[in-house]
Amino acid sequence: MSFLALLKAELKALLTNPVVILTVFGGVVFYSFLYPLPYSHQTPREQKISVVNLDMSQTSFKLERMVDATPQVYVVRRDYSLEAAHQAFLQGEVSGILVIPEHFYKDLLLGKSPTLSYAGDASYFLVYGTIVEGLAQAGGTLAAETKVAKLVLDGEPLSQAQNQYAATKLNLKPTFNPRMGYVDYVVPAVFILILQQTMAMASGLMVGTQKHGRGYWSRVSTSKLMLARVGVLTVIYYLLSMYYFGASFSMHGVNQLASMGNLLSLLLPFLVSSCAIGLWVGAVTPRRELVTLVILISSMPLVFGAGFIWPVEAIPSAMVWLSQLFPSTPAIKGFLTINQMGGDWSDISLPYSQLWLQSLAWILLAWWALKRQGRLNNHH
Amino acid sequence: MLAVMIWAVFSQGIARDLPVGVVNFAPGQMSQKLIRYYDATSAMQVTENYSSVAEAKTALVRGEIYAYAVIPNKFETDIYKQLAPQVSVFYNSQMILVGKLLNSAFLQAQGTFNAQISTGIDLAKGDTTLLSAMGKAVPVRTQITPLFNKNSNYAQFLVSAIIPALWQIAVVVSTILILAANLRGRGLNAWLAKRPIRALCSTLFPYTFIFALHGFAYLCWFYLGFEWPMNGSFAVLVLAQWITLIACMIMGCLFFFLTLDPARAMSFAGAFTAPSFAFMGITFPVSDMSGLAQFWRSLLPISHYIEVQVSQVSYGQEWLKSLEHLLPMFGYFLPALLSLLLIRKHLRHQQELDTLSSQPNTTKESA
Repeated sequence: MSFLALLKAELKALLTNPVVILTVFGGVVFYSFLYPLPYSHQTPREQKISVVNLDMSQTSFKLERMVDATPQVYVVRRDYSLEAAHQAFLQGEVSGILVIPEHFYKDLLLGKSPTLSYAGDASYFLVYGTIVEGLAQAGGTLAAETKVAKLVLDGEPLSQAQNQYAATKLNLKPTFNPRMGYVDYVVPAVFILILQQTMAMASGLMVGTQKHGRGYWSRVSTSKLMLARVGVLTVIYYLLSMYYFGASFSMHGVNQLASMGNLLSLLLPFLVSSCAIGLWVGAVTPRRELVTLVILISSMPLVFGAGFIWPVEAIPSAMVWLSQLFPSTPAIKGFLTINQMGGDWSDISLPYSQLWLQSLAWILLAWWALKRQGRLNNHH
Repeated sequence: MLAVMIWAVFSQGIARDLPVGVVNFAPGQMSQKLIRYYDATSAMQVTENYSSVAEAKTALVRGEIYAYAVIPNKFETDIYKQLAPQVSVFYNSQMILVGKLLNSAFLQAQGTFNAQISTGIDLAKGDTTLLSAMGKAVPVRTQITPLFNKNSNYAQFLVSAIIPALWQIAVVVSTILILAANLRGRGLNAWLAKRPIRALCSTLFPYTFIFALHGFAYLCWFYLGFEWPMNGSFAVLVLAQWITLIACMIMGCLFFFLTLDPARAMSFAGAFTAPSFAFMGITFPVSDMSGLAQFWRSLLPISHYIEVQVSQVSYGQEWLKSLEHLLPMFGYFLPALLSLLLIRKHLRHQQELDTLSSQPNTTKESA
């Protein structure tokens, strides 16, 4: 059987296999819409809070208005006791509380630094962070204003006082994801994992489907068949990756800083190793539905071990080593570096060589497993 | 096994000592002090000193550090002259969690540093006491209380949501595997021809105990093993888990009887359950999801369960009130009905096949 004929047969087998088509095209396209869906608003805004104002002075009302004016929080209730606010919190009407203490205004003028208390629902970290951020911002502005007012009272000129309310200033710049958007955070990394997992499923399902029958695949050598299969799937996945990195990223407004050439060359070892993993899983599992099962349940540990949700430094080293065996980990790092952070090719030389090493190792493993399975089939 | 792996990832609970870099253009006492303040925060550790911004930027891009601070020229003199020099910090916000942590750590360190310097300057002027100098430096103090997760433990926050999501995947997937095994072993007709509902229920019923045991095991692991705070009752959670697992099994049945092909059913199950963690509303609040996202979320059994879990574990609500979150579960009667119709269809199809070919049925799987 000539290699060209093999390629044709392989492509035909792939396109006529409903499970593979469903996984590859259905899965990839479906996920490209589904995954960013919950995050389409990017950042949580206008979280509901309750204010417990025990002071009732003009300054405290001003603080209330300043809090309400921040984009992060929205004052929906005013309670007259902490107990009432607590009840509202438990009922789920608010997710944060601001307490302005008694004598706030007086203490402020006396220079006794009164204490504002914030509380947020830390069962939901993003909600908590947003509320605290908004409250701290308003509180900080009030503090700065008070300080400037005091300096002016002390006889300093206003323009100087405005510059001197703090000994040093801090200019905090979020880099690479300036709008701190959730889509920009989740999508670029998760899409890479989706590519790996669906590709591994596809190649595994091909092996699983052909395991219990005879056909063109029994007439060629294992290495030739692998070459054809990896080739066909890689080409298909090149197209799908282009859809992800091109149309889909543009649609969600995610950064695309890498040059086309760099992206395509980084894709090659990633796709080859993902495909090889699938071949191996397909060869070692007895039935083809188990391929999907194994790859499906491996997704969660892979996504959390990849180091973009939880910093690598805080993950136990055994888990880090384990996650380094799969292409998604270096690939996520590599793609984020060049496409999201605008890094050069030299910045990703390490993940790139790691990916090639992985492809080599996984291909050898897959070849050995397929060979062994082929021998078993011949025995029967 | 998987659950332990997930827990292992987050076992540290709180991200400590993330590497950050410093570009110091004004080596001196003040800048050293500021760097020490950065280093002293629990979230950061100053690991590198760079001589130029370009070097620091490369390190940031390569992921060697998560942030760098640029201390400007004449930092010390400007402080004494009260010219308020500006320190610029660039932090990696591609990883939102790390970005937020670093943001607040820098603010905190800088705030402490400023307060100390202002107090010192005021004290140096004389005619003031330490207390009033501090009052002048920090006009308003704040006290921030994270409710229900006192030390902002990420393990508690994420793992208690990820494990239920994994559990849901396990239940749906195992249901499909069980049905597939029965189909292989007994054949559709022999298994379901007479009284399909009863046959199906008796097949699946024993497994509900296994799933419920899993669910109970992780609850015990979290709240008895780790002693994470638990304000509600276990009984309510166990009841909610039973309802959830029945809903999951119904979905598993539906996927399987759509095609009778386990591989395809598994693909459907994957598409349905794999992103459920994103839709649970733990990491990203439900109130900020779009309508379509909320609709998809309401289809997932686990997102109703997680609301019960949060309302019990964190808020300690009354059992009736928190079980109200499970009311939408009645909607799963619809997929149950659908899968019954599908079974009928498959049975009829099977019988037609049997009558057409006088031979006993050979193979059913649409391989």
